[in-house]
Amino acid sequence: MSIAHGEGGGGGTVVSLAGRYGGLVPAAVLFGLFFFIPFGLIVCFSFWQDFDYKVIHHWTVENYRYVFHQSAYIRTMWATLWMAVAATGITLGLAFPFAYWLSRYVRAGLQKPLLVLVIVPFWTSYLLRMYSWLTILGSKGVVNTALEWLGITHRPLSLLYDRPAVIVVLVYLYFPFAVLTLYSSIDRFDWDQLRAAMDLGAAPLRALRKILIPQIRPGIITAIIFVFIPILGEYLAPQIVGGTKGIMIGNLIDNFFAGAEYARGSSVALVVALFIVLLLVLFRKSLASKEAYGA
Amino acid sequence: MARDPGVLTTRGRVTRGGLVGYAGLVYVFLFAPIVLLVLFSFNANQVGTFPITGWTTQWYSQVFSDPDIQDALRKTLEVGGEVTLISVVVGTAAAFPLVRSNLPVPAVFRVALTLPIMIPGILIGISLLILFTQVFHFQLSPQTAVIGQSLYTTPFVVLLVAARLEGFDRSLERAASDLGANTFNRLRYVVLPLISPAIFAGALFAFTLSFDEFVITYFIIGGYNTLPIYIFTQIKYGITPEVNALASLLLISSIVLMGTAFTLPQVLRGVRRLVRRRIAERQIVDPVGEATV
Repeated sequence: MSIAHGEGGGGGTVVSLAGRYGGLVPAAVLFGLFFFIPFGLIVCFSFWQDFDYKVIHHWTVENYRYVFHQSAYIRTMWATLWMAVAATGITLGLAFPFAYWLSRYVRAGLQKPLLVLVIVPFWTSYLLRMYSWLTILGSKGVVNTALEWLGITHRPLSLLYDRPAVIVVLVYLYFPFAVLTLYSSIDRFDWDQLRAAMDLGAAPLRALRKILIPQIRPGIITAIIFVFIPILGEYLAPQIVGGTKGIMIGNLIDNFFAGAEYARGSSVALVVALFIVLLLVLFRKSLASKEAYGA
Repeated sequence: MARDPGVLTTRGRVTRGGLVGYAGLVYVFLFAPIVLLVLFSFNANQVGTFPITGWTTQWYSQVFSDPDIQDALRKTLEVGGEVTLISVVVGTAAAFPLVRSNLPVPAVFRVALTLPIMIPGILIGISLLILFTQVFHFQLSPQTAVIGQSLYTTPFVVLLVAARLEGFDRSLERAASDLGANTFNRLRYVVLPLISPAIFAGALFAFTLSFDEFVITYFIIGGYNTLPIYIFTQIKYGITPEVNALASLLLISSIVLMGTAFTLPQVLRGVRRLVRRRIAERQIVDPVGEATV
């Protein structure tokens, strides 16, 4: 089958299959060769063995046994998970009132410019935005200088190089994602429904919880996808502001590769990748099950 | 301003006031790090943080005369140019069949083409590191970094161009072919001019993302430096005012580039609509003699 009818019909063109699908060939080569095949390699490597800075093709589950039996690694995995949960929770918690304000209380003409203003920091380098937190949380940083100037503390607090610093920076980095998705979802909400609920006697917060929240559920799920999932694979934030105490699973992977332990590193990477794919599938399912508001 | 001030009770007004204050704090939170970075870049203090001991542009002249930075900048631009070219060609080509051909299982194609955005950079980085060093035995170089970055930037071009194609009035093409235009001419004179804002935005997007990309690049660029890699190695030794100055320059160029990428299509569309409306107004209003345009 080498021919198919052009959809137009107007010109009665006959377009060959190559013409219709040919556009996908460069993408298939690029993604196939450099994305899907390398992913397959990770799978293979994770079941091979590191030996003397080389990887020998001996099939085994030893890497997984090793990784899941070292308490330090297990701790890092759990820490990554709870840091991601905490950062996502805080980000969404902070973004919701903002998106609510923007959508409900701001004049229609001003909403878009104010929204763009939220995204502007996001246009700038991810590395640099993290870097600037060193000047804020450092021992001679803005926060410590202010606290000492106010006489609240007399010695610099150590705010950097631990998990809380990482969480703060993650919240900062992912906040715009959460605002965007929540706003686009809240913006389609019909506020009359909320008024009706309140006219019928519901307290404002109860009305929000019972009427607004269920309707923007898809927006909330989309926000979680855009915040929680990238945080799971976060490498740079813990590297820069987390120090040794704030490491996440991404740093663990980096350590293995830096030490040329490709097989063990691959096994951790595969665990992360599969977990993320699983989450994506689950989130998409739950998005598909309801009428999509936000996505 | 509320959309219906009449409904606002005292309580509503307090809520609104509180939310306005909160929104102000949010903007402070979002912009403070950027503003501080720029502020410290003019600080005469050697340490690159408080206290501010005077104002200087010395760090900027250091940035401009530092050969390492110049070298890193050159590499960044080279890589960015190549990444942009690859993403635009590959992404635009892929957007057409994605939107126009009735692909079997379209969702699979869409997911496959956008998956690299959802997968953390570190996983792309290490999987390519394995491919290049363990399988192909390539020497890592800026070219291997170009490949890695293209995986991450191409999906954005696909999404932008596909969105533009979705809203494309196909009768224009049919009209062109009724008038005798062949495939090439239809593409050249009808399709490309109409989707060019999306391609242009995609190119700027790809370039900016490449310009800032760190994680993937870090794993597969070998001994070379792009600007983010250079900054990263400098940060390890603490904050320096020179890095502050470099960072400020990069922040500003990123904002300008991304701002252009985002607003250009809208501005163009706005201008076009305005012109069209003016023309329409003239045609409708003029006969009556009330033209005030």
